[in-house]
Amino acid sequence: ATLTMAAVRAQTKFLSTNVLIKPFFSRFCASGSGQEAGEGASQVKKVNQESGQDGSQIKKVEPGGFAKSFIKYTQSSSSKVSEEAPKPSRTFSSLLRNSKLIQLGDPEGKVVEGTVFHVVENDLYIDFGSKFYCVCHRPQRNAQSYVRGARVRLRLHELELSTRFLGSSTDMTLLEADATLLGLIHPPKKTESAKQ
Amino acid sequence: MRLPQPVNNTVPGPAMPFSPTTTLNMATLGKKLFILSVRMGRGLWHRGIVSSSNPVQSAVEPLEKLQESSSDAITEQMAKSLKYPDFFKVAELFTVEDLFNARVHLGHREGSLNDHMSQFIFGSRLSHLIFDLDQTATLLREALNFTAHIAFRGGIILFVGRIPQHQVMIENTAKECGEYAHTRYWQGGVLTNSTIQFGSVIRLPDLIIFLHTMNNVIYEHTAIRDAAKMLIPTVGIVDTNCNPNLITYPVPGNDDSAASISLFCNLFKAAILRGKEKRKELLGVH
Repeated sequence: ATLTMAAVRAQTKFLSTNVLIKPFFSRFCASGSGQEAGEGASQVKKVNQESGQDGSQIKKVEPGGFAKSFIKYTQSSSSKVSEEAPKPSRTFSSLLRNSKLIQLGDPEGKVVEGTVFHVVENDLYIDFGSKFYCVCHRPQRNAQSYVRGARVRLRLHELELSTRFLGSSTDMTLLEADATLLGLIHPPKKTESAKQ
Repeated sequence: MRLPQPVNNTVPGPAMPFSPTTTLNMATLGKKLFILSVRMGRGLWHRGIVSSSNPVQSAVEPLEKLQESSSDAITEQMAKSLKYPDFFKVAELFTVEDLFNARVHLGHREGSLNDHMSQFIFGSRLSHLIFDLDQTATLLREALNFTAHIAFRGGIILFVGRIPQHQVMIENTAKECGEYAHTRYWQGGVLTNSTIQFGSVIRLPDLIIFLHTMNNVIYEHTAIRDAAKMLIPTVGIVDTNCNPNLITYPVPGNDDSAASISLFCNLFKAAILRGKEKRKELLGVH
């Protein structure tokens, strides 16, 4: 324990800001109970084992970060349900506010990921999660990898190709998005390509 | 987001009156559900809809099985089923989050907006329109409820859609729920001139479900006008560029993405199967 406290003091000498001292103290101090794990996980465990602060706590071992998540995800669902509070219902407004469409902003120039869902000779029909798909020409490089199921990177220009022509009362729409194919991220899985 | 101003404040209701020449069952069913839907429609403006992604559940006391299957008893059972707001619990079939994940809220651009659709729009994001999924959810529940009731009463349901990418999906949906689909070129007199066109007396569909109300191009599907002429109720997915006026149960939503059409197909199929299941169980008729 004395060794660790010395280390803390040495560290705090180098830290000029007060903000950083608190988390360090709480991490290395024996009185801290089950702090958030991660980098200091192993150290927390060590400190709690060694500290003779509370007689009853000597034997107790706080699980580190990995151990905690292991317990959480391998526990049976019945115990999970009783512990966790029911999920709050998400309203449409909140779903929209946190959606990718709003995060995207102006689609011009944004890089997104898409999946090829249809191929007609050298035309690739790519769905990137928007209302419409885009159609791109198969590139020369690595041409044989662009098959149904391939994940590709696109640079968006428009989410919908529609514009008002002279003399018409409504927009004329192509029912397609406009994007440039940048390259391949993932060729399709072997099982998918075997089916084709 | 800037809200486009609504042109008229009323929800489009059914375009045709229910004439006494239709069968008694269909007319009374239609009248009662029309009244319910109009009340719901007016209520949309006057009360704030609490939007939630959890389905609205209604407590339903189950009907007892029929002891004797006489036509009077069947009619009585059918009439009793109308007393429940959600007899088939179609509200459990989807949540607002399901609609959101299937991209139902995405509309076209502001330039192609049909004025009658502006009441269903939540707003626009950089000129791309967004549907108000709370309204969509309410109207979709009404449409599914109506579909299930038609199936419960043994009505013929016709799926119509004219976009080639979704043709096979729509036909398979119809096959899986034992109903009918017409996704090819619509000959003019299919509904209005059926006796001469098919050469014999034809039983017309009791409900037409439009997965796409437009043809490939700018025009509305002929069957919308013809169904209104023949007093056939319609359910239709209407996008921002569609006209919902002649459709009995319009469901505002995206009709261009495969994800949203597949969700709608599955929902209608589920509603029809629920109606048929109850028909077998309660009325003892296939």
